[in-house]
Amino acid sequence: MSLARNAPALLPGGNIRRLLAKWIIALIIPLLVFTFWAGEAIINTVVSPATAPSAVPTDVGSLIQSALFAAVVYLVVIALAGYVVATDSGRDRFWKTWLDVAIFALVPLILIIFAGQFAGENALILGLALSVVVWGIYFLIRNLIQRRLPAASKPSKQDISPVADLPPSVVRQRAVLGSFWFAVALDVIWLVIDLVYFFSGQIGLTILIWVIVRTLLLPILGYAMGRFAEAYIMWRANRAMAAKGTNGTGGAKNGQKEAINANPGSSNGLARARARIMNDLPLRSAGAQRFMLTLLIVFLLFYPAIDPFLFGSGLDGRLSGYGDAGYYVILALGLNIVVGFAGLLDLGYVAFFAIGSYVWGFVGSSQFTVITGIQTNLHVVSWLFWPMLIVTALIAAFWGVLLGAPTLRLRGDYLAIVTLGFGEIVPVVFLEMDKYTNGSNGIVGVQPPAFPGANWNTSTPYYYLILALIVLVIFANLRLRDSRLGRAWVAIREDEIAAASSGVNLVNTKLFAFAAGAFFSGLAGMYHAAKLGVVSPDNFSFGDSVIYLAMVVIGGIGSIPGVIVGALVVYSLNEFLLPNLDAAMNTPGSVLYPFHQAITSVIPGFAFENIRNLIFGVLLIIIMLFRPEGLIPSARRRRELHREEQDEVEIGALDVNPGAPGFESEIHVE
Amino acid sequence: MTTFLQELVVGISTGAIYALIALGYTMVYGIIELINFAHGDIFMIGTLVAIVIMNAFGVNANTQLAGFPLVGIMLVTCIGTMLACAVLGLVIERVAYRPLRNAPRLAPLITAIGVSLILEDAGKLWKGVSIVSFPQIFPLINYSIGPITINSVNILVLVVSVVLMIALQLLVTRTRIGRAMRAVAQDREAAALMGVNVDFVISFTFFIGAALAGAAGFIYGLQYGNTFFYIGFQLGLIAFTAAVLGGIGNIVGAMLGGLVVGIIQSLASLIPGSVLPHGGAAWSEAIIFAILVLILVFRPSGLLGQQTPEKV
Amino acid sequence: MSVADGQDMQNGTRPPLLELENVTKQFGGLVAVKDLNLQVWPREIVSIIGPNGAGKTTVFNLITGIYVPTSGDIRLEGKSIKGLKPEQIVAAGITRTFQNIRLFNNMTVLENVLVGQHTQLKASVLGSLFRTPQVMQEEAEARKRAIELLSFFGRSLVERQDEYVINLSYADKRRVEIARALGANPRLLLLDEPTAGMNEAETLEAVRYIRRLRDELHLTILLIEHKLAVTMGMSDRIAVLDYGRKIAEGLPDEIRRNERVIAAYLGKAAKADEELSES
Repeated sequence: MSLARNAPALLPGGNIRRLLAKWIIALIIPLLVFTFWAGEAIINTVVSPATAPSAVPTDVGSLIQSALFAAVVYLVVIALAGYVVATDSGRDRFWKTWLDVAIFALVPLILIIFAGQFAGENALILGLALSVVVWGIYFLIRNLIQRRLPAASKPSKQDISPVADLPPSVVRQRAVLGSFWFAVALDVIWLVIDLVYFFSGQIGLTILIWVIVRTLLLPILGYAMGRFAEAYIMWRANRAMAAKGTNGTGGAKNGQKEAINANPGSSNGLARARARIMNDLPLRSAGAQRFMLTLLIVFLLFYPAIDPFLFGSGLDGRLSGYGDAGYYVILALGLNIVVGFAGLLDLGYVAFFAIGSYVWGFVGSSQFTVITGIQTNLHVVSWLFWPMLIVTALIAAFWGVLLGAPTLRLRGDYLAIVTLGFGEIVPVVFLEMDKYTNGSNGIVGVQPPAFPGANWNTSTPYYYLILALIVLVIFANLRLRDSRLGRAWVAIREDEIAAASSGVNLVNTKLFAFAAGAFFSGLAGMYHAAKLGVVSPDNFSFGDSVIYLAMVVIGGIGSIPGVIVGALVVYSLNEFLLPNLDAAMNTPGSVLYPFHQAITSVIPGFAFENIRNLIFGVLLIIIMLFRPEGLIPSARRRRELHREEQDEVEIGALDVNPGAPGFESEIHVE
Repeated sequence: MTTFLQELVVGISTGAIYALIALGYTMVYGIIELINFAHGDIFMIGTLVAIVIMNAFGVNANTQLAGFPLVGIMLVTCIGTMLACAVLGLVIERVAYRPLRNAPRLAPLITAIGVSLILEDAGKLWKGVSIVSFPQIFPLINYSIGPITINSVNILVLVVSVVLMIALQLLVTRTRIGRAMRAVAQDREAAALMGVNVDFVISFTFFIGAALAGAAGFIYGLQYGNTFFYIGFQLGLIAFTAAVLGGIGNIVGAMLGGLVVGIIQSLASLIPGSVLPHGGAAWSEAIIFAILVLILVFRPSGLLGQQTPEKV
Repeated sequence: MSVADGQDMQNGTRPPLLELENVTKQFGGLVAVKDLNLQVWPREIVSIIGPNGAGKTTVFNLITGIYVPTSGDIRLEGKSIKGLKPEQIVAAGITRTFQNIRLFNNMTVLENVLVGQHTQLKASVLGSLFRTPQVMQEEAEARKRAIELLSFFGRSLVERQDEYVINLSYADKRRVEIARALGANPRLLLLDEPTAGMNEAETLEAVRYIRRLRDELHLTILLIEHKLAVTMGMSDRIAVLDYGRKIAEGLPDEIRRNERVIAAYLGKAAKADEELSES
């Protein structure tokens, strides 16, 4: 198939030109920023390893990872360009899109780069934290302005055209044009800059050859990714239509009518409509979010390889921090089952974390010999880590059932107090039974896992381990939530008597919630013990249970992406922001030093570490008073707590705001 | 036997303090069905306020007082502490609980935890992270009754507690506002329909409950001579157990529960290390907590409470 | 169901589906139900009526296991169900609706009905985690069945299956509650004031679909109803409670003329009025 014969005209007509201009400018700026921060360096290193910046490993494995990463990033963004051009209804203003991209893509990039100059160790976290602040301010201002503006006129129903009804050639044309011209723009700019580099002696001949190859390659890739975007759009639109077709009559016309008449209260109907109708805010559509999810996934997957390009040296320290943040995420997801899905307020969650840690502490160290008298070969024991993951989690789950059983008939408040008590008592038990647990000295020499080829003295294997565990836990959560058991949990949360009268076994369902929550907590505990190598009662206190609860509450009770974000926010606050603020305040040269003098003259005991609980307390109260559904609410909770705000959904802005659980399955109602 | 009786005395003394704190829990729960997590921390703040007031009079850990100055300063401190805590209770109710009166159950629980955290850190900031000494200005005189020793502070604690409890009981049963409190506790809507200002009554309940916690703080300091930013949480849990044991929502029950829990706690310290590693004292929290669980499982209405089935 | 059939049943030719024998329920000092004897035969529509506070809903709560009788027995098809937990009674074949509609507000119409099918589904936790073919098949069939149940009331609920129930009209909510109760494939359906809060048109429609529940789905229906006209028109038999005791039972016509019943509802003064007007 020759390009010339079958390709639609590659010269855009008038109205398409506007769209192209809008999107190319929108998407190319962040991509260029990324390119000249790290993207160019990554590709150049792959092409010519000799030119690698310092601190960058040049072994084959790293190079392959870097190559894959770069390839996916550029291809995805090019495809995204085609996608948005094809699905844009054309009604929206340019500046809205440019502002969106600027705030949500450009600002974080710039802040992270900026942070990298000053705090290389923790640039990513610091940059993201600053970005969150910027986003918060942006949302506030935007809401204030939106209230002042007159209501935007809604498009009439005739104006709405479903994507699925467009002739495929039109969709193809727009997608291809979008990707192609984006790629060309990128190509030209990149070429010019690289030529400047070459003539100023910054890059060598090998790279120049690559530059020429790239210049020829990009337009072809643009066309290809355009076709890919087109295929993806049609696939989504057809799938949405097919899903609706199970109850109605088929036919595009009926589907269109149904979609447009979709009841605002019906989230599934709306979701299907979104997949099929031209969008006013294409970047926020679920389809576009799939692209962004892909970027996130490759970023996480190949992070250890590309980190040196981004932040220079210090990879190990950063990865260790991410590993710790990771087990916070698992704890949040586990607690979310108990508190979010089933509505049982568990304030003693740390108990199961402790149990998980101690079980591996017993088995995975010489403490086993102390307790049982049986000699073990610690290297062999490391291999036991993998089966023990399940065993430990099951033991924790068993204790979840045991400790949950007395609480079954208790109402929310009592349940909270009893679980709080458990959270207090279990660490005390571990402390006092020092014949087995070594008391306050803790158990040392806890073995890391064993995996062929992995060096567990570095942080990299732990990073991948926690990533894998998080993926599994998210997966399990989604499956549980959308199952018979998940429905039973929501039912007992809503109305226990009605649930029992519908046949739900209250006892078993609640115990299952405790067991599931404890299972994941045990997993996290075991990971923590292996990573730290030490298990001591200091690691577990009631205060931790409160922090876990804060993660869930701040992130969004019952919302899976919400609690993940909540965990990261709380982790950053707890482990990173506060200690660093303290360090900054005590360093004479820093900005904060004068404040230190002022405050300590009034309050001698002041230290940011000391007001950690105060900050959490204030956050909890503010969230409960002003945004009880958390940062990223689950669809159910949003409905439950802001019923008054359920206004008519504008068909013109069919898609949810950024941050909504867009990547959760559309078929299953949330 | 002597030790047993002695521990009994100690237990009654401690129990009286628990009872005062438990009253706050039980009153608030009775009226808005909320466990005020922050209540124990109000008690803790009370201890700190008492120290500050006494320091303002130039009284510190070594001061000796007698006669008029002693009585005067004690009265001023006690009332000052009670007032301060009462106001604190009011503020907390207004800011953290009232806006959420119609929210799902979880919401005020979480804000209560938030308030508790704030108060704990406030205590930390105010007086530091280590144990703070409390001027024990009440002269310590030991009295021997047979084999056991009771001291003057014990007696003071008992007297103050009993006086306050009697005052509360009179307030609730013999006054108009007390009647209003009982009405709101039984049926908030009906009380409103009868012309009771429900908001005021609820605030008043918090006011009184917190005041009692403040008084408890003062006499706690006199008895033990020290305080610590975390005691609110620890004692709060124990006092709550007392409230549940006696029957949540029941004022006499809270008093009874406080005594029982106090006695159990001191008797627990008699358990030797052969039965429980490190002896019963280290496990007292666990024992109290186990009691809480047992009550809630087998007799959730407590000793004096009534079973109220849910209307379906 | 003809009157003759009813007589046949009561003459002991067929065993009752549900039987309450000397059931008493006491709450502390308050006797809510006293020595209640009641029998319900298959495919009957039996109504329990009586003034407010007569203990009617308490009887429902006793049958469905929310309360345990202080004394007496409750039998389903001859087997005692006294003391069983509510979910066990659902599994045994009795479901109910509530006087103040108790739907799961933050779930959709379809999800509510799916929860109703909880006892009919066997999906295990592991099966759900791994989405085994059996579980997926079962879920698909459950959804189909739920839509079938909703379609008993016509197309409108089916079309709104993904709407959150909190958005529905009152009458629709009642229908969803019934559909949810049907999800457990019950043999006996307890309806607690199914026409409460409805206007005339809605009430007529409710009566129609209640009859259809018995005729098309072969259910036995026990209902509590306040609207006497409705009860009289729809029931095969009526039992009248007052202060927890059964004061009358029989065919609608008999009940309508029963003096004790009239007295209980209207009080002695009204009876005097009647005498006055007749003289």
